[in-house]
Amino acid sequence: MSALLHAVPDDEQLARPILASPVYYYSDGDAISELEPHDLAAHLRRYGRRPDCRGDAGATLVEAIDDARLTGRGGAHLPSAIKWRAVRSAAAPVGGSVIVANGAEGEPLSRKDATLLELRPHLVLDGLACAAETLNAGRAVIWLHEGAHAARSAIAHALAERARVSLDEPTVELALAPDAYLSGESSSVVRALSGGPALPEFRTVPSAVRGVGGAPTLVHNVETLAHVAQLARGTYPASALVTVCVGGARIVLEAQTDELLHDVVARVVGGGAAAVLLGGFGGTWCSWDGLAGLCLTEPAFRARGLSLGAGVLDVLRPGQCGLARAVEIADYLARQSARQCGPCLSGLRSVSDALEAIARGGRRTDRRVDELATYTAEIRGRGACHLPDGAVRMVTSALGVFADDVVAHRRGRCLAKGTPA
Amino acid sequence: MSGGRRLRVDIVACQGVGICAHLAADLVRVDSWGYPIVDDSELGPGTERQARAAVRACPRRALFIADPARERRALVT
Repeated sequence: MSALLHAVPDDEQLARPILASPVYYYSDGDAISELEPHDLAAHLRRYGRRPDCRGDAGATLVEAIDDARLTGRGGAHLPSAIKWRAVRSAAAPVGGSVIVANGAEGEPLSRKDATLLELRPHLVLDGLACAAETLNAGRAVIWLHEGAHAARSAIAHALAERARVSLDEPTVELALAPDAYLSGESSSVVRALSGGPALPEFRTVPSAVRGVGGAPTLVHNVETLAHVAQLARGTYPASALVTVCVGGARIVLEAQTDELLHDVVARVVGGGAAAVLLGGFGGTWCSWDGLAGLCLTEPAFRARGLSLGAGVLDVLRPGQCGLARAVEIADYLARQSARQCGPCLSGLRSVSDALEAIARGGRRTDRRVDELATYTAEIRGRGACHLPDGAVRMVTSALGVFADDVVAHRRGRCLAKGTPA
Repeated sequence: MSGGRRLRVDIVACQGVGICAHLAADLVRVDSWGYPIVDDSELGPGTERQARAAVRACPRRALFIADPARERRALVT
């Protein structure tokens, strides 16, 4: 049994699946799905009414979140119960917290949040309402990318449906984020909703204590809130939404927590892989064999020093050069710097250039490898947000997993292509 | 815990001017791009004086002395 399932109390039911079948997105952006979006009637048929979470029911929900060891699905996987308790105790004396459903999916490869918002908007809105009631919110906000038109219209439509039947629940504001990698970063969200730019902020006090406009603030990824909606109904979620990326196509599916990563990838890709980038652009490269026996739960990943991150599995097929892929991603991340912190602004460019030089090969490779080690050691842990640490993690793991490729490129060959690099 | 005061830098405010690395040479070194890497250990009698000088001199007001014990008290009261 998986590491997460043993946290499910025996007498509790497992939650009903969110996505019964995978959703395929082609490189041109077209989607193919057998799933119909749930309108309010379909949502109620499938999941039933949302319980009221005011008073004691809220306390029970916080306990259930703790029992289920729910963690943040935006990528950080912080234990949700810790955030809820912090907001609850900080909000008690001042009155009025702020709850944000974060649907600004910055991770370029990820489509799981967009899929969830487009197909199951009411599950997210239920979770937001449960959090707002439990934590005595003065404001409940849903934060979406400006350019996410399908998600925006799904949420706007869902909010209108709920308003028409006059559900007794907190009012939800829809707020729009610039279409940038970092506008879904939680300190960016807090800063933007406080009237500032949507850029990460250097914080000495957590936003759960002092966030939007000084109010205790809970920023939760939309998938996390969908799980909250399931927990509030007394059912335990035992799945994770993942985006499997292969050759420009992306497949969003709901993986059960006792499923093996190998099986999930093999099912959608139709075979094995050379390597997988886990979590997203700021994630960790792993060899295919190194992932054997691994279940798709965060505790299982943590036990091997890895993280599911935002649930992205970027698959490198045999014949694709991992070093070349890492160069592309490092360059992308360097360009996404908010240009606020020196070690990120200058450092990620140096890292990207050094990695590119290593991939080009030649006599100076050893020196570039040494430089890169110096840069990554200097950058680690110094940004106001997770971007520089993620970039360092991706690059460092690439040099480990693709060590043989580095040697080959240095001699002017490429293992993946079998031709001069 | 004995105070636990540490020199810290607001890396968003910092522009890599570099005065701190001269005034607090035992606490601050600069990275490959000229930005300060600040020693995270607790301040002692000697380093406290250096830290204060660096805090005062920073034209970006990016350095500060963090006092975790006091922050904890502020959360409780």
